[in-house]
Amino acid sequence: MKRPSTIRALALPACAALGALGSLGAWRADPPRFWGAWITAFLFLQTLMLGCLFQPALEHLVGARWSVPLRRVPERLGTLAWPLLPASLLTLGALGPLYPGWPGTGGKAAWMSPGAMAFRVALAALLCALSARILGPRSGSPAGRSRFAPAFMAIFALVLTQAAYDWVGGITPAWYSDLLGVYLAAGSFLAGFAATTLGTLRLRGQGRLPGLGADHLHNLGAWMFAFTAFWGYIAYAHYLLMWYGNLPDEAGWYRLRLEGGWLQISQALALLRFGLPFALLLPRAAKSDARRLAWAAGLLLGGHLLDMAWLILPSIGLPLRLGWMEVSVGLFMGSMALGWWARADRMGADLPEGDPALAQGLAFRL
Amino acid sequence: MREAPPLLRTPPGPPQPPLTHPWGACGLFEDPGALVEAARRLRGRGPLEAYAPHEVHGLQEALGRKAPPLAAMVLGMAILGAAAGFMLAWWTTAIGYPLKVGGKPEGSWVPLLPVVFEVTVLFAAGTAALGMLFVLCGLPAFGHPMLATRAMTAITRDRYALSLEGDPGACAQALREAGATGVEAVHLACHAPKPMITLAAAGAGAALAGLLAFTLVKAYPELRPMVRMERQPRVGPQAPSRFFADGRAMRLPVAGTVARGHMPSGATTEAEAQHHLNPLVPTPAVLAEGRAAFTERCAVCHGALGDGRGSLGRAYGAAPADLHTDRLRSVPDGHLWWVIRKGRNAMPGHEADLEGTRVWALVHYVRALQRSRHALDSDLPEGNP
Repeated sequence: MKRPSTIRALALPACAALGALGSLGAWRADPPRFWGAWITAFLFLQTLMLGCLFQPALEHLVGARWSVPLRRVPERLGTLAWPLLPASLLTLGALGPLYPGWPGTGGKAAWMSPGAMAFRVALAALLCALSARILGPRSGSPAGRSRFAPAFMAIFALVLTQAAYDWVGGITPAWYSDLLGVYLAAGSFLAGFAATTLGTLRLRGQGRLPGLGADHLHNLGAWMFAFTAFWGYIAYAHYLLMWYGNLPDEAGWYRLRLEGGWLQISQALALLRFGLPFALLLPRAAKSDARRLAWAAGLLLGGHLLDMAWLILPSIGLPLRLGWMEVSVGLFMGSMALGWWARADRMGADLPEGDPALAQGLAFRL
Repeated sequence: MREAPPLLRTPPGPPQPPLTHPWGACGLFEDPGALVEAARRLRGRGPLEAYAPHEVHGLQEALGRKAPPLAAMVLGMAILGAAAGFMLAWWTTAIGYPLKVGGKPEGSWVPLLPVVFEVTVLFAAGTAALGMLFVLCGLPAFGHPMLATRAMTAITRDRYALSLEGDPGACAQALREAGATGVEAVHLACHAPKPMITLAAAGAGAALAGLLAFTLVKAYPELRPMVRMERQPRVGPQAPSRFFADGRAMRLPVAGTVARGHMPSGATTEAEAQHHLNPLVPTPAVLAEGRAAFTERCAVCHGALGDGRGSLGRAYGAAPADLHTDRLRSVPDGHLWWVIRKGRNAMPGHEADLEGTRVWALVHYVRALQRSRHALDSDLPEGNP
């Protein structure tokens, strides 16, 4: 039994090394294409991490009980903020090739200058890491974390807004949208809940969450179901306003995404992030059925990755491709994230022991 | 008839009316888990019903019931609502009343979704509420034997109850064995009102009243129930009115009323008018207004240049004033104002035709005309040889 475990132990570092080599080659060969793939993967992980941190914070904020037994899953996923701190700094390399800034002088030019943007990115990454430290998988009473929860809500909004307006909006600085931050937040919720659902199902399948019943799963399904509708509403409202206004400096952003191959991708996005999961989770029985929950969560995560590519690539002027460059970046980021998660999976006890609300949470019935 | 078992307590209060017959028994449970467990044990013993202050998951299965078709009803009506909302909005904007706004294509789906959403929710929510109450719950029902039990007051607060139909003694025993407390017998009052008969009577009464009203309106068309806007009492133009003592239909304005924009000057004699000052500042706009008034009313006699050589004067041998004489250049503005309004010699007064401050604008223009023939060196623009 030694060989398989050795292979397994070596698989992730090998993938990471291969991905890093490929990424370096891509960076030398075609910087815009490389950075497009890199920012897509980076934003995917960052929004997922924020969506996960949001859940324990919300639980502490409102004093929720049902989610206490499965809180460790989003807490552990939220520690992705630590490896994302150096990743944020690496991503600053995209400022030269992809982020033109604002010509001339004045407030907007200063705000969009590389220095200011680097400062905001570093500050956001630090705030995320701090939040992951405070809200992370620790035993004991959650009193301190409850006090931090309201502050995290502000951090959540600020970091997502920064990500939306710097990483997404910065590529096309002349374009502007009030709703972009909310759009990214809606996707972030969905990604966070989907990842939490998959993580909970995995731990439950391994028998590491004793006492977690179908009622808890039902609530997870209801969360995902509700937020598919929220995402659909926000995405549609964003589109409707620009469609109605039809202003040249606004509508161009959508025009890029409704022409050529991007039209089908936009339609696929609506189907992946709203249509299919909504229909899948609509019956009551589906919300506590592990298999259907896993399907819905998988669809939502895939949709989120596609959504990030949809936000980034058309603005750069690139089509959606899956060549060796994208595979390399995905391999590198994915194996790094999975490697971190393999470590995070052992942080703290599987059930948050010492939390006075744990018994109440386990006794939760609909 | 055998004695009621000692376990069974009859409800306190006035004795039961004689016209009742045994219906079954009911008992209370402390928590939803005990309720579900007891329902599972008693399933198949007879018609079983559970009562709870909130929805209890798993109760349906424990009672051995199939899921009600409410979800399917709501889904079907939601799809119908979406289709109806879309057809309504699409037909209205694309075919019935095509509205072209901002170059948008007619019948585009994008702006219709809010309507589709609202109608979908309306149909679905209405079906959920009305379908549950009137189709699945069998309402309206004017009475139920459980309403007379003490258990009913408990289950609207924090208790859970099961009722079992059948012989009260046997049912009570079974409930006891399933863990119920506060078991009581339930009787059905034989004089329970018949809801369908009452409803049918109310419906028939409403139909009869409607028919009667319809017949009356048709048989006596002069009894017009609603004349809407056909009759609007009013007095036509120039028509007399018998309502007011003076016979006029319209009231005269109160003495001293001044219409907006027609403020009187205050000057009533020519001597007073000499002291009036021009209230306007000679801006280009004022001079343009004065020029328009001059061209319209003065130029035909005084000439476009104000030299008294207009076309009308020549045609009739009249002698309109030359506005460039020393006398007219030295009179005050108030004099010109008075003469323009009241007229002089053969010249008619223009008071009725030049409203508001137009006369003053005209005075400014006359002054400008006079200045044009007696310009000073300082009037010439500098630096233009």
